[in-house]
Amino acid sequence: MKLDFEHVSVTRLAKSYGPTLALAGVDLGFDAGTVTAIQGSNGSGKSTLLWLLAMLAYPTRGEIRYGVHGVSRSDGLRGRIGFVAHQLQLYPGLSGRENLVLAAKLQSIPYAEKRADDLCEALTLGEYWNRPVRTYSRGQAQRVSIARALLHEPRLLLMDEPATGLDVKSAASLVELVEREKQQGSIVIIVTHEAKFAELVADRVLYMDRGRIVEPSA
Amino acid sequence: MNTLRAALLVALKDLQLELRTKEILTSTGLFAVLVVTLGSLAFYTDPVSSPNVAPGVLWISILFCGILLIGRSWSLERENDAVFALLLAPIPRASIYIGKTISALAMLFAIELLLVPLCLVFFQIEPKGVVLPLLALVFLGSLGFVSTASLFSAVGIRTRARDLMLSVLVFPLVAPALLASAVATRELFAGASMSEIIGWMRILTAFDLLFVGFGVWVSRHLLAET
Repeated sequence: MKLDFEHVSVTRLAKSYGPTLALAGVDLGFDAGTVTAIQGSNGSGKSTLLWLLAMLAYPTRGEIRYGVHGVSRSDGLRGRIGFVAHQLQLYPGLSGRENLVLAAKLQSIPYAEKRADDLCEALTLGEYWNRPVRTYSRGQAQRVSIARALLHEPRLLLMDEPATGLDVKSAASLVELVEREKQQGSIVIIVTHEAKFAELVADRVLYMDRGRIVEPSA
Repeated sequence: MNTLRAALLVALKDLQLELRTKEILTSTGLFAVLVVTLGSLAFYTDPVSSPNVAPGVLWISILFCGILLIGRSWSLERENDAVFALLLAPIPRASIYIGKTISALAMLFAIELLLVPLCLVFFQIEPKGVVLPLLALVFLGSLGFVSTASLFSAVGIRTRARDLMLSVLVFPLVAPALLASAVATRELFAGASMSEIIGWMRILTAFDLLFVGFGVWVSRHLLAET
C-alpha cells in the first residue's frame, strides 16, 4: 500500500562511508508544493542527501520522517518517491518505452503500457522511443529518466543534476515540468551546479559544504 | 506488489534482454560445448571406461559455464547503475534475488539441454533410461549452485573483488551439491535405475531448499542498502 505524506524532515542526519564523513548532521524540512535547490562543491554531500531521502542508503545517525512515517515503512514510501539520478539507471539494452513499462509494472500502475505511452506523448519522446537506450544521447536518456521518475505521480521528487545534457528547449520544458509538479503539491528537491537554473525553479536555494548546510558566503 | 510477481517481472526483463542480444547464451553456451568436446577428446579411452569420466566433464562444464553466466547476468545490473531502477521500486528486496535466480537458472538449463545429449553422444552412453533422470539431476544440481552464486553476486554488486569473491566463496559452499550431483550422475551412467539414485536427489532437493530459503532471507538485508 502506498503511503502519503505532506512534509519531509531530516534531523541530525549523518552518513559515513568508512572513515569519510559524507553528511555531518543536517537538519532540514521540506513542505508539499515547494521546490528546494541544493548547491555546493563536489563531495559536499548533496547527492548523499538525495540517496538517503530516496532510501537507497540508510543514515549512520539521525532520522528522516516522511510525514508520520519513518524509513521502516520503506516499501510503502517508495511508491511515492521519484528519483532522477546522475547515473541514469536505465537498462541500455531495453528501449525507453520498455524501461518505462517495466518501471510502471514494478510500481503496480494499472495499464502500465498506456501510462508509459501517455508520458511519452506529454514529454515528446516519440522519435527515439522504441530504440535501445544505449543509442541515446545523454539528453535523450535524461528525458526518459525524468519520465520514469514521474510515472507514479510521486509526492517527493528528487533530481540530481536534471539539466545535464539537455538542450535549450528541453531545459525550458524541465522548468515547466518542475513548476507543474510544484502546483500539484509535490515536494521537489533538486541538486544542481547551475545557479541560474536553481534561481529560476526554486523557492529556496541551500548551500552545502563538507556535509553541512552553510550560508551562501561560506 | 507480492514477491513472486515482482520476481517474475525481474526474470522476464532479463530474458527479454537476452532474447534480444543472445550475448550470454552464445558466449557461455559455446564455452560449455568446448569444455565437453575437449574433455571427450582428452579423456576418452574406450566405451566401457568413458562413462566414468563423463560425469566429471559434464559437471565441470556446467560449473564454469554457470559462473560465467551469473557474473554476466549481474553485470547487466551494474551497467548505468540500472539495478537502482529495481531498488527504487516498491517491491520486496528478495524479489530481485529470486528474479535473477529464475532467469539465470532458465538460461543455464537451456544450455544444459544442449550439453546433456552432447555428452551422451561424445562419451557413447546409451541414452535409454538415462536422459530424464539426468535432466532432473542436472536441474536440481544447478538450482542449488545458481541460488548460491546469485546470492554472492548480489553481495558483489558494489564490490570490486566480486569475481574473486564468487570463485572463492561459492565453490566451497556448493561443494556438497556438486559432489552429490557428480556421484549420482556416475551411478546413473554405470546403469543405476531411478530408484537407486533417488537418495541423491533427496539430498540435492534438501540442499536446494536450504540455499534458496537462506538466499531469500539474506537478500532482504543484503539489498536493503547498497
